Amino acid sequence: MIHDFGIVWDERSLLLSGLANTTILSVLSAAAALLLGFVVTPALMSKRRPVAWAARGFVDGMRCVPFLLFAYIIYYGLPSLGVRLDNWTSGLLALTIYNAAYMAEILRGAWAAQPREPIEAGTAFGFSEVRLFRRLILLPLLLAAGPVIGNQMIQIIKDSAFLTIIALPELTHAASSIQSRHYVPFAAFITAVFLYWGLCLVIEVGVSSIGRVADARR
Amino acid sequence: MTAGDVLAILRGAVVTVTLSLVGILIGLPIGLGLALLRWANVPVVAKIVAVYVSVLRATPLVTLLLLLFFALPNIGIPVNPVSAAILALVMNTSAFNCEVWRAALVNFPKDQYEAAQSVGMRAGLRFRRIVLPQIVRVSLPGLVNEMSLLIKVTPVLAVVGVVDITRAAVRIGAQTYEPLPPFLVAIALYAPIVFVLVSLQRWIERRQSIAEAAA
Amino acid sequence: MADGSKVLDVAGVSKRFGDLGVLSDISFQVDKGETVCVLGPSGSGKSTLLRCINWLERPDAGQVYLNGTQVGINGAGVVMNDRDLSQTRTRIGMVFQHFALWPHLTVLQNLMEAPIQVQRRPKAEVRDEALALLSKVGLLEKQNAFPAKLSGGQKQRVGIARALAMRPDLLLFDEPTSALDPELVGEVLLVMRDLAREGRTMVIVTHEMAFAREAATRILFLDRGRVIETAAPDRFFAHPETERARQFVQRYAGDTGGLQWQRLGKRS
Repeated sequence: MIHDFGIVWDERSLLLSGLANTTILSVLSAAAALLLGFVVTPALMSKRRPVAWAARGFVDGMRCVPFLLFAYIIYYGLPSLGVRLDNWTSGLLALTIYNAAYMAEILRGAWAAQPREPIEAGTAFGFSEVRLFRRLILLPLLLAAGPVIGNQMIQIIKDSAFLTIIALPELTHAASSIQSRHYVPFAAFITAVFLYWGLCLVIEVGVSSIGRVADARR
Repeated sequence: MTAGDVLAILRGAVVTVTLSLVGILIGLPIGLGLALLRWANVPVVAKIVAVYVSVLRATPLVTLLLLLFFALPNIGIPVNPVSAAILALVMNTSAFNCEVWRAALVNFPKDQYEAAQSVGMRAGLRFRRIVLPQIVRVSLPGLVNEMSLLIKVTPVLAVVGVVDITRAAVRIGAQTYEPLPPFLVAIALYAPIVFVLVSLQRWIERRQSIAEAAA
Repeated sequence: MADGSKVLDVAGVSKRFGDLGVLSDISFQVDKGETVCVLGPSGSGKSTLLRCINWLERPDAGQVYLNGTQVGINGAGVVMNDRDLSQTRTRIGMVFQHFALWPHLTVLQNLMEAPIQVQRRPKAEVRDEALALLSKVGLLEKQNAFPAKLSGGQKQRVGIARALAMRPDLLLFDEPTSALDPELVGEVLLVMRDLAREGRTMVIVTHEMAFAREAATRILFLDRGRVIETAAPDRFFAHPETERARQFVQRYAGDTGGLQWQRLGKRS
């Protein structure tokens, strides 16, 4: 067993590059999904029915489809419509679009829970739309939604592992590769499991500190 | 895509639903057991459970599945794709269920428990008649949510060769060189199942909030 | 202490919410230095009237003029765009029932935010003025605290200071003490009374009868969306002219609780 871990240690650069890819993939798609969420959420709450309807269809649709299937469709299905993407682009796109739906729902919930009066005070004091959002709405909203967004980020990290199926060289793929070449399944995958665990702990620490900042202002 | 192809995907659906049900039915009580171990603060064991749950919640299902499928034979436990799949699903869902149950237990009003003690109920009876019915009620939305999440991760079983909806669809797409139609059929099968569960969850939440408002 | 110039001119303002008529043909004027207290039973439309003045609610009919310029409608007779409306609003200060402080900003930042962001005034000048205002309302030492850590009375005093920081021509108060515990009401009313004495132009919606009696230069009595009576406070409370005003005054005649506010009101 120790010998097995020794082999894994020898292959650490592959494992670490897998970890790096997982991290990059997750961070990029989380940021992009959040930004996209900020576009979809107003659409969800729009008074124009076709817009709200389309946004609701998108959000509910993404939540009813398994992510793996969605990734397959982007990677294997789009080519038959003439769009051929490599596995990195497919993976990033799939993660971003899929989680944008969840982020939109999270932001909508956080917005609904925000007290209305301070925002109305902003209007009364002459703040208009963009400035009102940037200075008086955005930060309290993010502070309130922090823990839930953190959970979603953990979900994104775990979803990224599915992309091993389209041969994206992330962490699970690296562990698979090590195990299939050296026949050290336990050592390889357990190491991967603990690396995933570490990533999640980092996120949870981040969420806690946001929680403390939020509490001081609650 | 022929009728035979659609039938193949439907057979995959049977596998998906069956394995999901098995995973849910075994995972629910195990999750409750884990939650009780933590709530009762059994020394050492509670800590182990806490770490176990934390690690499992952070582990992607595909990684866990590959770990079980490849590592267990190495230590002498024979596994086939289906048993590895069930084991991975159960481990995964029990960890998430544990947190749902635990939230209900932690928020259980202590005075109800003390009232039961003061009328002489013993531990088993207290639990069965007073605690359990109420934490089931409180946990229901979270547990149903977890069920819908479980259905959505079942495609990962395709990785070890279990022919579920996704693997059947992929296989047909590879044979016919038209991947999109079988994928769309797959969506048409997953979506209603998930939708039913999500609607069930919303219905439960609505009924509970009405009951609370009336109380 | 009213001076001749009209700060606020409300002419024929009406407002409906769906089928419900909330305000009917409201007209009144406020001169510079006046303190007008708007009184009336619940549901009489007092808050809606206040919110129509700075167009937080858009009147269905009628006009509002601030120092001669119309609020909400520009020179061409068209509804103002966001920017122009914002500019008008900077000249009207508002104090809210639930304080409406911005939770992610400190007390000092709350005061400085709008003058810097909306009025584009230089930071140093805004800061000096903000500190002076905090001192005036007795909360200088709380300048770096977050609103969550303040009591209700302290929050409202910050709210008043924040409105003053905009150097407004007119101050609107929307039931400023209704959400406060009784023992915190006095400290806020004291600040408001001092502002009235300094000659600020104020329109105050309130239930605090004793305060209204002492601090107002005029009472505006609303019932079911109409101005029923308007008179100087002594006359209104002693000899109300209309029947509904009489009923209202009689119901609150025993309200000496408010009279205590001057004695209880202490800076904390």
